[in-house]
Amino acid sequence: MRIWSIILILLMSAGCRKEVKVKLPEYKSKLIIEAWIEPGEPAQALISTSAPYFGGFDYSNPTAIFVKGAFVTVSDGTTTDTLKEVIPNQGFYYKGDNLTGQIGKQYVLTVRHGGKEYTAHTSIRNKVPLDSLFFKWEFDSLGFIWQHFKEPAGLGNYYRWQSKRLNVKYGDQFFAGPIFSVFDDKFIDGKEFNFSYDRGPQPYNVQAWRDDPNRNLYRVGDTVAVKFSHIGQDEYEFWYTYYQNKVSNTNPFSAPVNIKSMFGNNQEVIGCFVGYSYVLDTIIIKNKP
Amino acid sequence: MRISCLFFLVIVCRYISSQNISVSGKVFDKKNGEVLVGATVYSKARPSQAVFTNNYGLFSINLPVGSHTLVIQYIGYAKKEIPVEVTKQIHLNIEMTEEGGTTLNEVEVVGEKNDENVTQNRMSTVKLEMHEVKKIPAFLGEVDILKTIQLLPGVKNAGDGNTGFYVRGGGPDQNLILLDDAPVYNASHLMGFFSVFNGDAIKNVNLIKGGMPAEYGGRLASVLDITTKDGNNRYWEAEGGIGVIASRITVQGPLKKEKSSIILSGRRTYVDVIAKPWLEKTDFKGTSYFFYDMNLKWNYILNEKNKIYLSGYYGKDVFQFNSVEDFIDTRIPWGNATLSARWNHIFNSKLFSNLTFAFSDYNFKFEAFQDDFEGKFFSGIRDFGLKYDLYIYPNSRHNIRAGIHHYYHIFTPTNVSAKQGETVFDLGKVVKLYSHESSVYISDDWTLRSNLKLNLGFRYNHFFHVGPFTRYLKNFQGKITDTLNYRSGRVVSGYPGPEPRASMTYIVSPSLSFKASYTRNYQFIHLATLSSVSLPTDVWMPCTEVIKPQIGNQYAAGIFKNFKDNLFETSVEVYYKDMKNQIEYKEGAEPSDNVYDNPDNAFTFGKGWAYGAEFFIRKSKGKLTGWIGYTLSWTLRQFDEINYGLVFPAKYDRRHDASLVLTYEPLPFWNFGIVWVYATGNRGTLPNGFFLFEGSMSNDYGLRNSYQFVPYHRMDISATFSFSKHKEWKKSKIISADIEITTASPENKRKLNHSLTLSVFNVYNRYNPYFIYFSRQGDLLKGDFKVVAKQVTLFPILPSLTWNFKF
Repeated sequence: MRIWSIILILLMSAGCRKEVKVKLPEYKSKLIIEAWIEPGEPAQALISTSAPYFGGFDYSNPTAIFVKGAFVTVSDGTTTDTLKEVIPNQGFYYKGDNLTGQIGKQYVLTVRHGGKEYTAHTSIRNKVPLDSLFFKWEFDSLGFIWQHFKEPAGLGNYYRWQSKRLNVKYGDQFFAGPIFSVFDDKFIDGKEFNFSYDRGPQPYNVQAWRDDPNRNLYRVGDTVAVKFSHIGQDEYEFWYTYYQNKVSNTNPFSAPVNIKSMFGNNQEVIGCFVGYSYVLDTIIIKNKP
Repeated sequence: MRISCLFFLVIVCRYISSQNISVSGKVFDKKNGEVLVGATVYSKARPSQAVFTNNYGLFSINLPVGSHTLVIQYIGYAKKEIPVEVTKQIHLNIEMTEEGGTTLNEVEVVGEKNDENVTQNRMSTVKLEMHEVKKIPAFLGEVDILKTIQLLPGVKNAGDGNTGFYVRGGGPDQNLILLDDAPVYNASHLMGFFSVFNGDAIKNVNLIKGGMPAEYGGRLASVLDITTKDGNNRYWEAEGGIGVIASRITVQGPLKKEKSSIILSGRRTYVDVIAKPWLEKTDFKGTSYFFYDMNLKWNYILNEKNKIYLSGYYGKDVFQFNSVEDFIDTRIPWGNATLSARWNHIFNSKLFSNLTFAFSDYNFKFEAFQDDFEGKFFSGIRDFGLKYDLYIYPNSRHNIRAGIHHYYHIFTPTNVSAKQGETVFDLGKVVKLYSHESSVYISDDWTLRSNLKLNLGFRYNHFFHVGPFTRYLKNFQGKITDTLNYRSGRVVSGYPGPEPRASMTYIVSPSLSFKASYTRNYQFIHLATLSSVSLPTDVWMPCTEVIKPQIGNQYAAGIFKNFKDNLFETSVEVYYKDMKNQIEYKEGAEPSDNVYDNPDNAFTFGKGWAYGAEFFIRKSKGKLTGWIGYTLSWTLRQFDEINYGLVFPAKYDRRHDASLVLTYEPLPFWNFGIVWVYATGNRGTLPNGFFLFEGSMSNDYGLRNSYQFVPYHRMDISATFSFSKHKEWKKSKIISADIEITTASPENKRKLNHSLTLSVFNVYNRYNPYFIYFSRQGDLLKGDFKVVAKQVTLFPILPSLTWNFKF
C-alpha cells in the first residue's frame, strides 16, 4: 500500500516528532545467511548474525556481527564442496571451490554453526531473455531503464532484476536489486510488455550512493549492465517477504512481516540460497535527442 | 426451538388471562413534536411497575380499573403528572417541555431524579442524549458521537485520529452501528479523524456493551443504535455552525403541520479550499482532501395508528494525491450511503409493529496513474434488509418482542484492474460474494416479582453463501489445478447460529440492584484489516466455506447503586468474553492476492479472550454534571499462523483506562466542559534488532504486540457562551425574577439563537504516541552508527472556535 506510505510521510511532516527512549523486549540474535549459486561459478555465502538495536551491541565494533569459522557445504547430490572463508581473519564471506553451478541442477547448502545445522535447497533454472533495453528520460539528464519483455507462456515463472553501473567513476560495487526487484507471472503470463525499475541501492557503506539525491535514477553517460534472472518460487517468496519487511519499516499502516526464511525456523535463522539463471544486457545512456 | 415455543405459549396464556386495562400513548417534545425515546411512565401508586417509551416514543402500561395519576419523566424535561380514569383502553398524547424552557430564571433543575439505571432490566447499556453530548468539548469543534462514547467505561478509543472503537475486547468490526436501523459499515471520515455522524442530525444514541437483547444480532461486541431527529412538525427552523475545518447546516420543518415533517442536514470540510493556493506552487499541486455528508429524513403521520418515515444518509471522502516528483496521480474516493424506510403500525394498545426496509452501501476506490500505467482497485459491501418487528405488551409483567429479519449482502472484496497503454493486464474477473442472513427472535422482559426481573430471549440466525461463485482449487505449490463453479443462487455453504440470551435484575431497594447477563452472538461478516489502524482500505468479508462465523459468549454481572436520592448513579460491572473464529490476514498478505484466487485464502483464524471490570459514577442533574469511568481489562488473541502460534495481547489490550467528563453551567448562558482521559499505552510490534543483507540494513521484528507504548493521556476543555440566552437572562432579570416568561411561541422562536464555543484539545500539550519509528544515523561499518527511536504525535494542543446558530 504505497499510498499509505505517502500519507505517512505527510503525517510525519505534519505531526510532531520527538526522540524517545524505548524499552524493547530482550533480543536473541539470529543467524543471517545470504547464499547463491550461478552457472559456471562456485557457491558463495555471506554469514552474519543479527543484533539488537539497543543495548548488547557495540556499534564501534560492527564486524562483531560477522560469523567466523562456520562449516558451510554445498552439494548437487553427487559432489559435495566445502565453502572456505575468502578473508580468513574476517569471516563473513565464504566461497566454494570445485563445484560450479549448472543449468537444470539442484543444490543443497548446509551451514553448521554454534552446534546447530541449517539447510536450504535451490535449483538453477533455464535462462529467460529480455527482448531489448531502452532508456526513457524523465528529466533532461535523468531517467529509468525500461525493458521490453515477452513472458514465456505457462504459469510458474519467477524473476529477479538487478543492475550495475559500469562507469569508471562512480561505478557500482555489485549488482543491486531495487525494492521489490522480484516478480512472478501470475498476472502477466505469456504477455508482451515493457517494465522498468528504480536504480537499486548500493551497500550501506557507499557514501556516494547515499549522498546522491537522484539515487533512484540513471544519468546520461552511465553504462549500465542489467542482470535478469530466472529463479524459483521459494527464492521469490524469500525476496518478496524480505522487501515487504523492508518497506513496512515501523509503518503503522502495515503489519510487520516475518521473512520466509529458506532455512526454515525464522526464530533462529533468516536467509536464502538462490540459484540465479541470468542473462546480461548492457545499455549506454546517451543525451536526449 | 421447542423450548422457545413453549415459552411463547406460556406468555400467550398469561396474556389471555390478564385482567388489567392497558393505557398506551406517545410521549413527545412540545416544542418540535420529536418523540422522546426511553421516557419513564408509571402510575404514582405503583412506581415499581414503570415502563419506558420505545424507539418511537410509544408506551403501553397495564393498570387496574380506577383512578390513577400517570407520571412521565424524561432527562432534561420537566416531570409531568396526568390524572387518568381507567375504565377502558385509552391512548394518550403526552407533550413534554424542556427544563428551563418554561422559566428563564437560573437553571435550577426541578425534575425528579430518576432511578432508571437501577430498576431497569438492562445492564451494560448507556443512553446519550445529543444535548448532553454537545456540551462536552469536541475535537476541532466538531461534535462527534463516536468520540463521546469512547469516554464511557468498557469502550476504548483507538488513539488520536481514529474513530474505531473497541468494546470489551472486541474489534471495531464487532460493533453493529445502526443509523435509523440501517447498518453503517465505515463510520469514519478522513482516515478516522471524524465520524460520519453529523451531531445536528442526531437525536439520541444507545450503546449496548453487553446483555444484548434478542432483537439485535449479527455482531459480537456491541450495538450502537443511532436515531436521527424526526424533524420539527410544528414550525420551520434552521441551525448550523461554522467551525475551523467544516461547516454544517440543518433545516427542518413541517410539510403538513403536525402530520408530516422533513429534516435535511449537510456538512462539508474546506481544508482543500484553504490549502489550494499553497499547494499550487509545490510539487504536490492538485493534492486535496475533502469530505461531505448529508442526512435526510421525512416523516409522515398517516393517522393515529400509522406512521411512516424515510431516512437517508450519503457521505463521501475524496483524497487526491499528486506528486510531480514521483509522477504519480492518485484519486481515492470512499463513502457510505444508507437508506431506511419504516412503517410503524399500532394494532391496539397492546400490540405495535414495525416494518422496516434498510439499505446500506460502502465502497472504496483507489485509482493511480503513472505515465501510461493505470491501476485501479476497489472494494465494498452492499446490504438490502427487510425487518418485521412486533412489540407485545400483554400485561404489566411482560414486554414481548418478536421479529423476523432478513439481509441480503453483496460483498466486493478488493478487486484490481491495471493497464499500460494498450496492454490490459489480466487480473481476473471482478470477484463478488453474495449471501443471505435470516434471523427470527423472541424475547420477553418479564417482571417476575416487583423486585425480580428477567429477560429471556432467543435468536436464531441462518447464513447462506450463494452463487455465482468460483472456487479455485490449488495444489500444494499454490498452482490452480481446477475450478468449481456455482450457479447463481446455489448455496455454496451455510451456517446456523442459535443465540440464547438471558439477563436478570434483582432490585434490593429502589437505589440498589444486582444484575447479570449471558449472551451468545454469531457474526457472519468479518472485517479484515491490513494495518493496525482502521482505514478505508479494510475489507469486509462474509463467511464462506473457508471462513467460519465468529462466535462470542459474554458473561457479565454488576451492582448498581444510586446515592443522594438518585443524584449520583454508580455501577460496577465485570465481564468475561470468549471469541471464536477471529480473522486476520496471513502475514504478508496483500489486497491484490485475490487475483486468481479466492479472497478467503488470504486469511488465518484464531481465538480471543477478554475480561475486565468497569466502574462508573455519573451525575446527570444540577449545574455540575458528568461522569467518571474506569476500566481494568485484559484482551488476548491466539492464532496458529501468527506469532509462531503463541498467545499475544491485542493491540488495545489496555490494563487501565480512565475518563473524566464534567460540564458546568453556572449561568444559563455559560457552559464549561472538561474531559480528561488516561489509558495504558497501546501495544505494537517494533523491530528489536537489525541485520545486514545485500549490504543494507533490515529490521528484525519482535513478537506480535510485544512492545507497549507509553500511556496516553490528554485533557480537553471548552467554553460556550450563548448570546441569545444571555440577552434573555438580562431581560428576565430586569422584569423580575418572580415573573415566569412562558415559552416563546413558534413565531418569536424565529429569532436568531447563537453561541460561540471555544474548545482546546490537548490543553497541556501532551505528546501522545501515534507511532514510533527508528531513524538510523551514521555508517555501521565506520563505527559511528547510531539508532534513535522517534515518536510521531498527531495532535499537539489544538484550539478551535465554532459559531453555532439556530433560527
